[in-house]
Amino acid sequence: MGFIREITKNRQLYVLAIPGMVFLALFSYIPMFGHLIAFERFQPVKGLFKSKWVGLDNFKFFFGGQDWLRVTFNTVYLNLLFLIFGIGIALILAIMINEASSVILKKISQSLIFLPYFISWLVVSLMMLAFMSSDGLLNQWLQQIGIHEINWYQSTKLWPFILTAVYVWKFSGYFSVIFMAAIVGISSEYYESARIDGATRLQQIIHITIPSIRSVIVVLMLLGVGRIFFGDFGMIYGIIGDNSILFPTTDVIDTYSFRALRQLGNFGMSSAVVLYQSVMGLVTILLFNRLAAKIDPDSKLF
Amino acid sequence: MKNEDLVLRGKPVRTKIRNDRSWGEKAFLWLMYACIALFSLVCVVPFWIVLADSFASEASYLKHGYQLIPSEWSLDAYTYLLQGDQLLNSYKNSLFVTIVGTVLAVIITAMFAYVLAHPKVKYRNTLAFLTYLAMVLGGGLVGFYIMVSNWLHLKDSLWALILPYLLNPFYAFILVAFYKSLPYEINEAATIDGAGDIRLFYKIILPISTPVIATVSLFYAIQFWNDWYLSLLFIDDYKLHPLQLMIRQLISNLNVSAYVGGGASYQVSAPSSAIQLATVCLTIGPIVFLYPFLQKYFVKGITIGAVKG
Repeated sequence: MGFIREITKNRQLYVLAIPGMVFLALFSYIPMFGHLIAFERFQPVKGLFKSKWVGLDNFKFFFGGQDWLRVTFNTVYLNLLFLIFGIGIALILAIMINEASSVILKKISQSLIFLPYFISWLVVSLMMLAFMSSDGLLNQWLQQIGIHEINWYQSTKLWPFILTAVYVWKFSGYFSVIFMAAIVGISSEYYESARIDGATRLQQIIHITIPSIRSVIVVLMLLGVGRIFFGDFGMIYGIIGDNSILFPTTDVIDTYSFRALRQLGNFGMSSAVVLYQSVMGLVTILLFNRLAAKIDPDSKLF
Repeated sequence: MKNEDLVLRGKPVRTKIRNDRSWGEKAFLWLMYACIALFSLVCVVPFWIVLADSFASEASYLKHGYQLIPSEWSLDAYTYLLQGDQLLNSYKNSLFVTIVGTVLAVIITAMFAYVLAHPKVKYRNTLAFLTYLAMVLGGGLVGFYIMVSNWLHLKDSLWALILPYLLNPFYAFILVAFYKSLPYEINEAATIDGAGDIRLFYKIILPISTPVIATVSLFYAIQFWNDWYLSLLFIDDYKLHPLQLMIRQLISNLNVSAYVGGGASYQVSAPSSAIQLATVCLTIGPIVFLYPFLQKYFVKGITIGAVKG
């Protein structure tokens, strides 16, 4: 009864929420039924409920090979690299920009550093071609200083670091905006009294700035860790595409399941991979939410 | 609201005491300046290359490859692009998706967020949790694909690029944070006047939230403009390719002239590298052009999001 009374009482408000709820249901909740396909040999003509049930076959196929270890490792490893270097370098940049006393330098550098955030991964991928293709700028520079050229798009081992560098390039601006917002909120009294005590700039940074924005750092880290099993599809597929030479170090769960679906048409295995990813994702989020509550109650996510 | 203004104007936060800096302090400061300058430079050089080399002639590419400053300039890539239909088609598609998508998304998100933030709504926390859960979990690729292509029959339709992104939970939460900061008296005053909640929302709440709405609109616009995931999944027809997919096609498609040129009226072989770069320039052109404006509102939005967690 309470439910119906609430709905009728605030019916106008609930009407406002209907379109949003419809789209949430259509594109997030109803598709969850798709996880059932992980247990079927799905045939699009027969549909979700009439395809043949095959139990755990899809999972046996996925976990029977070496692929699952590789894509899981790559996903976690790349995400960790992105998280540590992405946040670390953005933090250093934000502190440095904040310390700068020249307003013009501050404004210009902020604008330039934030710019890459606004372009798509495909554009980034083309920019990388200009530097790393066989006649690209990097090889030209290497030649000029007398070092043998590198065949970048075939040097599998280098790619975790190349991708990290690109990630840092694209997201430092974004993260440093977050850090700067937190830094300007620090009361200037702390710095004044530290100065009176004779603290150097570096000491002030280490003992005042960083501890004061600790919770922002923790929240960003936790958000990243919560999504550690989810690769950035747009980034990896945009840059690597179907260059299978680089798959050993760059193929992540998301690109793997995409290829299973779009190129192999293997709905069943693709679903099994996605379900595996969702379960791992859910477990990490629950786990780290608890951890967050312990480390820093303010940064609990829900 | 104060913090983001400070970030934007780049005001020095603390009162500086200038006279008692030691030599080490000074060196430290200059080292920092050098690092900032270097990093900023690294951020813009790729943009410069894309712009400069889109004006390089094919001969210049064949001889020197990519260059910081092309040795031979030409407008070939642009004339070539403008002769065919693909660029115009792609531009139209991207504009349609971005404009229609942003307008619809902002309306839907604003209404939804208002309900999540409204203290009268008993189930607002349940709704918020469901929204959050959707954000972190998603429906999974296969279910989503079947929903759009088999159940909604949106394959090769521009609506497939719009509908799935109409409610972005993250942007909804930015608006929720804003609505929660509004004084509750607004609601009471209007209720006494006998206005219903829907009227109240459109007549009072929406007008006073213009700055945040502007921020969220830009977030959405960039998202629609830059997305290529949905078009990769659902668009096969060349005529419906948005700009981003056109770039992808140019990277992977060996037969550039057939794709871009349309008819075979142009006899000279297509300057393929320059065409790629010229397409990129035309794609990021609007973003760079609007950048000062974008930057201002994005900093605002991110700051609200960061402060409220």
